[in-house]
Amino acid sequence: MTQSANASGGAVPWVAVGPALLWTLAFFAAPFIAMALVSVTVKGGGFSLANYQQFFTDPSYYRALFNSLEVTALVTVISILLAYPFAWILAEQIPERWQRLALILAILPFWTSYVVRSYSWLLVLAEKGVVNNTLVQLGLISEPIQLANTRFATVTGFVHFFVMLLTLTIFANLKQLSPSYRKAAADLGAGPVRTFLHIILPLTLPGIMVGAFLTFVLATGDYITPQILGGNNELLMPQLIMLQIGRRGDFPLASALSILLMLVVTVAYLACARWLKIERA
Amino acid sequence: MKTLSRFKNAFRKLALSATALVALGLSPALAEEINALVWCDHSSPEFLKPFEDASGIKVNVKEFEGTGAGLALLDQSQPGDWDVMVIDSIDVRRGVEKGLFEPLPEDKLPLGDLYPQVVLDAFTKLDGKRYGITEKFGYNTIGFNKDKVDGNDMQTLQSLVSDKYKGRIAIYDYYLPVMGMAALAAGKKTADLTEADLPAIKDVLLKMKANAKLVGEVTASQTALATGEVDILVGGGEWVTAGLAKENPALDFSIPKEGGILWSQSLAMLAASQKKDAALKFIQYVLSSEGQARLATSPCYWGMPSNQKAALTDEQKKVLRFDEQPGFLARAQLYPAPDEKLDKQMQDVWTQMLQAQ
Amino acid sequence: MRSAIRLATVIYAVLIYGFIFLPVVTLVLFSFQATSFPIPPFSGPSLRWYQAVLGDTRLTSALLNSLLVAVISSAVATLLGFLAAWGFARFRLPASALMRGLITLPLTVSYLIIGMGLLVLFNSIGFPKSLSAAGIGHVVINLPLCFAILYSQMGEHQANIERAARDLGAKEWQVLTLVTAPMLWPALFASFFLSMTFSWDEFVISFLLTRFETTLPVEIWNLLRSGLNPKTNAVGSLVFLVSIAFVLLFELVFFRKSRS
Repeated sequence: MTQSANASGGAVPWVAVGPALLWTLAFFAAPFIAMALVSVTVKGGGFSLANYQQFFTDPSYYRALFNSLEVTALVTVISILLAYPFAWILAEQIPERWQRLALILAILPFWTSYVVRSYSWLLVLAEKGVVNNTLVQLGLISEPIQLANTRFATVTGFVHFFVMLLTLTIFANLKQLSPSYRKAAADLGAGPVRTFLHIILPLTLPGIMVGAFLTFVLATGDYITPQILGGNNELLMPQLIMLQIGRRGDFPLASALSILLMLVVTVAYLACARWLKIERA
Repeated sequence: MKTLSRFKNAFRKLALSATALVALGLSPALAEEINALVWCDHSSPEFLKPFEDASGIKVNVKEFEGTGAGLALLDQSQPGDWDVMVIDSIDVRRGVEKGLFEPLPEDKLPLGDLYPQVVLDAFTKLDGKRYGITEKFGYNTIGFNKDKVDGNDMQTLQSLVSDKYKGRIAIYDYYLPVMGMAALAAGKKTADLTEADLPAIKDVLLKMKANAKLVGEVTASQTALATGEVDILVGGGEWVTAGLAKENPALDFSIPKEGGILWSQSLAMLAASQKKDAALKFIQYVLSSEGQARLATSPCYWGMPSNQKAALTDEQKKVLRFDEQPGFLARAQLYPAPDEKLDKQMQDVWTQMLQAQ
Repeated sequence: MRSAIRLATVIYAVLIYGFIFLPVVTLVLFSFQATSFPIPPFSGPSLRWYQAVLGDTRLTSALLNSLLVAVISSAVATLLGFLAAWGFARFRLPASALMRGLITLPLTVSYLIIGMGLLVLFNSIGFPKSLSAAGIGHVVINLPLCFAILYSQMGEHQANIERAARDLGAKEWQVLTLVTAPMLWPALFASFFLSMTFSWDEFVISFLLTRFETTLPVEIWNLLRSGLNPKTNAVGSLVFLVSIAFVLLFELVFFRKSRS
């Protein structure tokens, strides 16, 4: 530990950490408090729990939270299942000198604009879009099938992003594993399957969990992807929140919904907390 | 330290190119600026630039959707932030009651040239003073692809709730006009909707939703219709089909026997504006025959100019179906104009429709 | 058996690469569409939509706004994160873990909620919607990231060199600017670059907190909603190109050095 290096620095350390602390208090903690206060009023009125009451009693409101959780769960599981083998191929099957290039290629679409990425999927999945067009021309289907404007489209848009993200975190994790683990396992007579289940998988769990948590936070809070791809056939939580702002300027209701969403994310955070510590080298 | 100097160099280059970009992007300074809260049809350069060049007044625009959001934006702003606002004609009074709008000088506006049916004095005037002037109008009704559907079916709203067109319908995602149409389908008048009418309206909405492939905003619903993803757009009208006439001439709209919903947008001047002269000049431009023509054919959506003298080509007039306007106007009903409480209830019904499986 | 596994991995990798690149290739291909709808059949190549983008002053000024917000907010986030990381790493402070937790907390909160909170707060104190408001939001999301990166890089080895500099009579600010910062520049650059990336691409905070002067993602959203056409493809392709150029720059300046 280096904290012993200079235990007492007088005012110096406070000058150093002060700005960041104050910034966080002023523009993160204070907004949260403001939101909490506003959430227990009604638009143009005084104190009231009507917003929370509406959420818990109106099925079309709490349904949005369930929708969000269902979509996020689907996205997380599919993304991990797709990304893990891919990261493994990148880390183990591709010659060392090409790995960097292979990885950069695998995450290159990160750098398309986030709004544009969902829009591109709309083009791909549209009734007259690339996928349907190809399938019809190949004679695999006779009529275009509805892919866009569905939950399937929303999930696809999300999975695309999170496969890239999870590939990155799992790849980094796999690269940290010492080859000697595998060798030791093999020396002890473990086959590849047992080596994977008992050695590799547990050791890469932190990479998976970090990725899964990021997926959870980003997917439950994302407005663009469901809004562009879901065709409003169902509402997710962020869409419900933005609807309150966009249509009526109803800050109190939007605040209450935001706070409920944040509570859910906090529970997920506590569940994953042990894998998410920020350590110093 | 060599690395540091390389980093510095790279950064210097970055800074230089950023400066160059900023310099390139700066437009010639204009003497005056006004801030306008508008709908998307006002923000195209084709519409704004001729005014800016001729008057030397720069127009900053912010887009919003729906009166509720617009009034909320004003709430969040400082007095004097905004000079001009676009608002549904029927909602002009809501702004007046909040003390937001400035009376407009009728003698300086081409009121005599407007379609009398859309001036809507009952909504745009209060105590003999004019607070809003209609700039554009049209219909939320049934937009469809005439090659794919039976034109006769499009003469009644009942087709939208029957099985025949299941999976071939898109619903325009704006609650007021579509709920207005649902009210017409349920045999009600939009002018006197109350809370008691909501269950019947909801019933119609849910049936439409069951037939619908998507509920989309302007673009999504336009695209779905234009690309053949759906054949019918509930809430569509010339504002969808006219702009796309070149791309897909089979697009058409009808005003069914139950009627259609007339939308009408007005311009209002903010009472707290510090630049009322410039704001009036802008309003005059919008209502001039050139401004009207450009607004009517905006790339965002087309619509009927309220000024009958709008400088449109014959081709454009044909696409907008200029000649048929008197008949259309006779059958159209106004947007529902709910008070704050009914508005919230209507939006809740709308949310339930979106969420329905 | 071995070759079968080999074949399976190749097929799998190709499929995933295909999935990852499908939307990007579609986007770029149909940006060269000659007709008005970016869907098959392909009717190009044509540059008309690129001309339309470059001639649209709203888009070009939004691009400059985005750069401006990204550079300034990233610089602020990196600076604050650096100072805080140094302070926590070198000094023993009361409730240090709690304060560090507070600074990194925004990492676990959706941008939507951060944006909503700032909207409610700014609205109640009368702070106007503006690029500055969005910039403040971007610092909130990037500061924890910069702090976490820099804090993880504050090692014992640098502390010794700092001590040596102090023993030679350097003042605290001199130590910080002449010794610590140069030693940590790869981490500083990485923080700055990552922040730039996130700010450049951020939508919802800018959407909620700006008015007519806005950032590129918000302007693209407006474009998207005002008519589906290949212009959106063109602007998306251009943004992709600019971002890739940044990544290459980063790769050249940062990773080549770290390897040698």
